[in-house]
Amino acid sequence: MKNFNTLKLLDLFKVFFEKAGIDYRMMRRILQVKLTMDGRRTSTVMSQNMGSNKKSDQNQFLKSLWFYAFIGLTLVPILFVGDNYMFQVSVITGVFMFLIMTTMISDFSSVLLDVRDQTILGTRPVNSKTISASKAMHVTIYLFFITVAIISTSLIIGTIRHGILFGVLMVLTILFSDLFILAITAMLYYVILKFFGGERLRDMINYVQIGLSITIVLGYQVVARAFEFVELEAQFTPEWWTLLLPPVWFSAPFAVVLNGETGTYYFILSALAVIVPVLSFVAYAKILPRYEENLVKLMDQTTKRSKQKRFDLFKRIASLATRSKEEHAFYRFAEKMLKNERELKLKIYPSLGFAMIFPFVFLYNNYSAAGSFDVLGEGRSYLSIYAALMMIPGVVIMLQYSSKNKGAWIYHVTPVTDLTNSIKGTLKALLIRLFLPLFSVLSIIYTVIFGIRIVPDLLIVFLVTFIYSVLCFKLIKGTLPFSEPFESSTQSDGWKTLPFVLLIPIFGLIHLGATFIPFGVWIYLLLAIVMTPLIWKLGLKRSPSV
Amino acid sequence: MEKQSDKVLSIKGLTKRYGDKLVLDEIDLDVYKGQIIGYIGPNGAGKSTTVKIMLGLEGSYEGDVEIFGESIKENNVDYKYRIGYVPEMADIYDNLSAREYLSFTGELYGLEPEKAETKARELMKIFDLEEVYDSRISSYSKGMKQKVLLISSLLHDPDLLFLDEPINGLDANSVMIFKEILAKLSEQGKTIFYSSHIMEVVEKISSRILLLNEGKIVADGSFEELRQKNKEGSLEEIFNQLTGFKEYKDLSEEFVQIVQRDKT
Repeated sequence: MKNFNTLKLLDLFKVFFEKAGIDYRMMRRILQVKLTMDGRRTSTVMSQNMGSNKKSDQNQFLKSLWFYAFIGLTLVPILFVGDNYMFQVSVITGVFMFLIMTTMISDFSSVLLDVRDQTILGTRPVNSKTISASKAMHVTIYLFFITVAIISTSLIIGTIRHGILFGVLMVLTILFSDLFILAITAMLYYVILKFFGGERLRDMINYVQIGLSITIVLGYQVVARAFEFVELEAQFTPEWWTLLLPPVWFSAPFAVVLNGETGTYYFILSALAVIVPVLSFVAYAKILPRYEENLVKLMDQTTKRSKQKRFDLFKRIASLATRSKEEHAFYRFAEKMLKNERELKLKIYPSLGFAMIFPFVFLYNNYSAAGSFDVLGEGRSYLSIYAALMMIPGVVIMLQYSSKNKGAWIYHVTPVTDLTNSIKGTLKALLIRLFLPLFSVLSIIYTVIFGIRIVPDLLIVFLVTFIYSVLCFKLIKGTLPFSEPFESSTQSDGWKTLPFVLLIPIFGLIHLGATFIPFGVWIYLLLAIVMTPLIWKLGLKRSPSV
Repeated sequence: MEKQSDKVLSIKGLTKRYGDKLVLDEIDLDVYKGQIIGYIGPNGAGKSTTVKIMLGLEGSYEGDVEIFGESIKENNVDYKYRIGYVPEMADIYDNLSAREYLSFTGELYGLEPEKAETKARELMKIFDLEEVYDSRISSYSKGMKQKVLLISSLLHDPDLLFLDEPINGLDANSVMIFKEILAKLSEQGKTIFYSSHIMEVVEKISSRILLLNEGKIVADGSFEELRQKNKEGSLEEIFNQLTGFKEYKDLSEEFVQIVQRDKT
């Protein structure tokens, strides 16, 4: 096991730990083990792009720091927007706190919620203080790295521009906001565990992870456009509701010290900036022992029995959409997998978010060109809805994976004669349960913008989606759904989808062509209605042998 | 019968509640040196709760628990140097290799890192696991993981062992070695607390059997004693009798009937 530099650094503080009654040698050893294990797992930020070079013990986390540093870089321009510290610092701490909070939840919940610690460390002669301390230090080490990565550029440039005092205040602010976030995250978990139990908490963490993935990609979009807003007025007007925003609290001391602002409002804010983090941390320290006790709930797998509804809409849809018993079974199975498997959701749901957003990115560009909504509404920009199809290759390729892929033996021992049904059922479940709702929402918005006239076009797009997804299924060449471990997904998966993504503009162009021919759209629609079932029948055929 | 000084474990009036539910109801128990206790009972009888309390994983309970003559509430660390534990759920840091994991747990017990490592390697060799000593535990089979857990619980030569379904996944040959190890350890005066649902094994290895039902000890004695008292042939039958379970014939019949229904 490596002797981590981080730990050598920590050795400098040995005396403090020993003073606090912590067995330092033991804590160091536990941390060493934990850090080694972390080197063998991937973080959410990187798991989107990273292949499985799992062999090396290099900490993925350290690589993801570059990413945080990059985000930190984008904060720098804010320092040059006027001289109003309330604005500058609020924005910077706001972004900072958001990033830290989401990373804490998505990547370090495994640290905060590791129940194995209970049986492995709790039963050994290590006092509970040492165990808690090593847990806290473990999180602190990472928090420290991420903090430094995000903020150091802004801190240095801010100090140069606004002076030493700014730098000192900034360091304190960041320290307090870290403290605050650490405490409230832990307390959030505590509350959820206390009232809802482990499954709900795991779901919540999963959704935060999904949200983080979406935000990061969106972040690129926003940052790219952010420079357009640089001219915007950086004014700050005190309102009562700003008292509720932690980033505003943290910016108040800057305004008091550097802008020379006075008045009760600023003093209240500054007081909040100090008192709330301290109080929340004290509360956190108080509940920590009980927190560990509630953690046991995570091991408790029991969930409430769900009520069986008499009329289940999704059941009806499943029967309507499928043709044979086998296909029905696979449809229902895929439906449940897509709904319940957290790791699969983490890979798939962000793409859904992008599918929702990308059409509008294109639409926005066209809107800028058209100048007004009326002009836009008369044009053919509705074809930008094809951008929603961009998610399909990536999602289809993910359908072959599952974190519980070992369950795939079921395909081989059951007398399923025709595995075509497994593919049809899975694909239908994907299109109907995930794509259709999203497409419906898009369609409604588009119909509002472009009018009833585009309804046949939307129908075409929907049918084309079915054709397109059959083509995409060629990507996974006969691998059965949910039968491969995520670890076997590789970087090349992303490249493989590229040619399929490039098919989308072609579909769009064909459609565009049809709109110039009289009745072209109707003819195209008719053609699509005839072709879709045919392509499904022929395109998905595969030999019964596995 | 036994001497007071040989008392390893003493529980008095142990009561535990989860909310309104009474899990352990005034349990009294003394365990002496060299005993192999077969700790059995139906699911939810409170077996694992008792073990968790003794291991210090569960802090809130009523009553006294003394291990090696000291209350575990007052001194909750030192007694742990002398106990070993094999958890039922194979909780293990499986991103580590066996070498890393075993030397780590050894050090937690205060062993020298190098000594722990060589000792662990030799023990792994006996279980025929030397080649995988440096592979990650996540790649192990169930039985291999179980062997690592066993080694980890014994590495520091504890005086009191808590084993929860310890032979889960082991093959017959390994079980044989393992049973012999337990017998040897008990001869040397080590005490073993063995919980399991496999009655045949408990029947064979235990010198004393404790049957827990609904939070109470309903039977306590050697297998012979239990057999005489309850006039039943096997531990399984005694178990059924004492836990008041008689419907197994009806239930099994119903099960088969449902399976064979709707057959076309």
